Amino acid sequence: MKRRHVSFAIVALTVMGIFWGQLPSKAATSRRTPNMNSADTAVLLPNRSPLVSFRIVFMDGSAADLPGKEGLASLTAAMLAEGGSRAKTYSEITDAMYPMATSFQWQVDKEMTVFSGSTHIDNLDKYYALIREMLLDPGFRADDFKRLKEDAINYLKTSLRGGNDEELGKEVLYTMIYPSTHPYGHQNRGSVSALEKMTLQDVRDFYRSSYTRSTLVIGLAGGYPEGFPKQVDADFAKLPTGAIDQFKAKLSQPKLEPGTRIQIIQRETRSTAVSLGFPIGVTRRNKDWPALAVVASYFGQHRSSNSYLYQRLREARGLNYGDYAYIEYFPRGMFNFEPDANLGRQQQIFQIWIRPVEPQNGHFVLRAALYEYDKLVREGMSKEAFESTREFLSKYVNVLTATQGAQLGYALDSRYYQIADFPTYMREQLAKLTLADVNRAIKQYLKSDAMRIAVVTKDAAGLRDAILSNRPSPITYNAPKPKEITDEDKTIEAYKIIVKPADVTIVPVEKVFE
Amino acid sequence: MKLLIIASLILCLPLLALAQKSRQAFAYDYTIDDLPNGLRLVTVPTDYPNLVALYIVVQTGSRNEPEKGKSGYAHLFEHLMFRGSEHYTGQQRDEILKKAGANDNAYTTDDRTVYHEVFSKDDLDKVLELEADRFQRLKYPQDGFKTETRAVLGEFNKNSSDPEEKAYEVLRATAYKVHTYSHTTMGFIEDIEDMPNQYDYSLQFYGRYYRPEYTTIVLVGDLKRDDALGMAQKYFGGWKKGNYVAEIPSEPDQKEPRANHVDWPSDTLPLVYVAFRGPAYSDYKKDKAALDLLAPIAFGENSDLYQKLVLKEQKLDSLSYIFEDRADPELFVVAAKVKDVKDTDYVRQQILETYQHFAKEPVPKTRLDSTRSRLRYQFALGMDSSEAIAGALAGYIGLRRTPLTIDKLFALYDTITPEDMRDMAAKYFVDNHRTIVTLSPKEVAK
Repeated sequence: MKRRHVSFAIVALTVMGIFWGQLPSKAATSRRTPNMNSADTAVLLPNRSPLVSFRIVFMDGSAADLPGKEGLASLTAAMLAEGGSRAKTYSEITDAMYPMATSFQWQVDKEMTVFSGSTHIDNLDKYYALIREMLLDPGFRADDFKRLKEDAINYLKTSLRGGNDEELGKEVLYTMIYPSTHPYGHQNRGSVSALEKMTLQDVRDFYRSSYTRSTLVIGLAGGYPEGFPKQVDADFAKLPTGAIDQFKAKLSQPKLEPGTRIQIIQRETRSTAVSLGFPIGVTRRNKDWPALAVVASYFGQHRSSNSYLYQRLREARGLNYGDYAYIEYFPRGMFNFEPDANLGRQQQIFQIWIRPVEPQNGHFVLRAALYEYDKLVREGMSKEAFESTREFLSKYVNVLTATQGAQLGYALDSRYYQIADFPTYMREQLAKLTLADVNRAIKQYLKSDAMRIAVVTKDAAGLRDAILSNRPSPITYNAPKPKEITDEDKTIEAYKIIVKPADVTIVPVEKVFE
Repeated sequence: MKLLIIASLILCLPLLALAQKSRQAFAYDYTIDDLPNGLRLVTVPTDYPNLVALYIVVQTGSRNEPEKGKSGYAHLFEHLMFRGSEHYTGQQRDEILKKAGANDNAYTTDDRTVYHEVFSKDDLDKVLELEADRFQRLKYPQDGFKTETRAVLGEFNKNSSDPEEKAYEVLRATAYKVHTYSHTTMGFIEDIEDMPNQYDYSLQFYGRYYRPEYTTIVLVGDLKRDDALGMAQKYFGGWKKGNYVAEIPSEPDQKEPRANHVDWPSDTLPLVYVAFRGPAYSDYKKDKAALDLLAPIAFGENSDLYQKLVLKEQKLDSLSYIFEDRADPELFVVAAKVKDVKDTDYVRQQILETYQHFAKEPVPKTRLDSTRSRLRYQFALGMDSSEAIAGALAGYIGLRRTPLTIDKLFALYDTITPEDMRDMAAKYFVDNHRTIVTLSPKEVAK
């Protein structure tokens, strides 16, 4: 096993009081030729905080799940973070963490797996010793495996299918866009049938092939002692070297059939949840990402009343609790106000999330979402909207990176996307941006002839008939509305959704992620 | 090894003092200023740069809804407060906050409604002016009111797909017969459906509770107290004091164990909620503090029960407890998600035996000490930004209007003995104060 040594040089102090460690020349080369799986890198944010944050990332994730093994990356991560190490059972680990009030979290997305936790500096040695053993010397006990496998199955069956229509709709949308043959083509937690067949040996094998130096990036922030990163690096040198670019070759943009496709999930539920979208060939690495970030914020800033869709559907019409738009994967949006970090992807989708409406308004709200989307593409943004949104995002980046854990997460993502640190990147790019850039980006990336729509509702057949018949879906309110709204309603209620009967499918909820 | 180093200048020196000033749980310097009209301002300057977190805490929650047919109004107000005021329409308000790069939201609990924003420090004056207008001069037309009631129904609907929400709702309605904790913050569905007809009542509600004596402004971040006080005086100084005091009915003594069951219409894992009537929040009486320390020991992830039912026997998908700090006596709830419906009785029995065990046996001293350590570190680790500090303060401000209560509470924890915990368990975990609610899919419902 090759031992690597820590060396670095701080060369620049920006006006914001942020030091950037200049990468050695070798790294500078790799920056010009981005290599997402470049392994020999750490991201360090030393400061004087008594809190030490860890984000240990492996550049591998559910995209590496082989056919029939969907969910293996997630189950393996769960086995490391919620199972015992060789030296200690999981109970012994949680007992040791208890007085320190620490924990160790895991998150698996398509291309990134991250283990994170924070400790007070008082407990750094004890905490680090525990997580080091968990990641480097896992116990892989049968009882942990049985428990965590059942957890994964129950997550799919009851949390997702049985208790959260909104997340269900959002996740179904991704499976409509990425076919099962695509590495992104399954839910990160897997499928019930694949999980049921999964063995402990599968987990061991996955750990051996994916948890390697070549996929590892160590993220540390806080007031850790000077020699600490070196110690961590030396410890993690124990991992096998591994092969770079394990799954990259398999990734290709999904080729969607033109036209609209609608999947209606039938479930016993009070309301109707809608998610719609399509792939966009843009990530933070692309020069047009900041332009699209402005558009998404203007059109549907997450959990904010400061956005167009929210104003039209919730504020003006009282249809539901909120309506938002995204250009990056944003799971758990019903719980989180800010996005989680380390969900880096080579491919993203544009998504509109309509929170549940009363079933009688399901058809109307679907038309309203499509109508507003068409209007956005047709008309673009106004100068005022552009300027206020740009100003918002330039400042909001401070909110996104307010904690050191978030700063570390964003720094790791900036490394993945090969961009400057996120606040700098956003401020610089936004300052350069023009209204013309934004409106060009809308036409270039947000115009799609392959819309995918996921709906969760009780009367799936009724909604399907209504959509296919294209009959008007008038809406009634409990209070008079301004003429501007009622006139627009007339347009929306008759708005044509052009879709073939074969392209509107009904799926009983029990079959989803099965 | 190639390294990317970003040395950010986060200075959280008060946190650094945790070890030295271990008797002081809230380790930040703060100032309390009371305006003549009863409004209170708490300022906490921090070293986190650029941002200010503003939390306006109104001591009004679903607890303040004793009138029949009028549940859910504290929460409705959390919505209405965004629909415009005398000098700013909702849209103008949004535009100003957008320019400030603000994260802007609100929440309601049983005891309080909290309006919070985090934004660029340069925008503090404007944001306070904006807030002052809606707190003193909220203005929403009848049509807008009706529209907002549908958004509230939408919120109820989105929550309703979760069986845990339903079980908790039924638990509260079963355990409390008179006190307003019988309904959740959302309110009863029939009251939500009637809201569009209650415009006049909503104005009355605002006039009662949106008053300076119910309100505390908490400002945390890159700011100076003198500046903040000047702005608060300028914008909130003319706010008129009210005189309304809600009569919250006391819950009579429960004289029998209670139980209820929910048939869930679709597939789900069965739920078992076992609750006892507990004490209200206090920073000087031992009752709540002793049970706060007992809760993680008896039912947390390190408890023997968790080890047995979740890790060893693997009968449960999850086991947790809910025991909030509340103005009035609150339920101590243990919630279990069972993997197989046939284990429901066994799980219920195991939870009940655990309650009884701790009413008889004192916990080991080492366990108590490690729990005290955990609570202190948990509190300190949670405060890693100005917003997090303000957020942590808001709950205590809602109860006592001062951060001092945090230090008192942690000092009280230090005085608790294993015998206190046993005695409080014996006092509160009695059969006649028990409520159990189960939920299971319809097909296998009992």
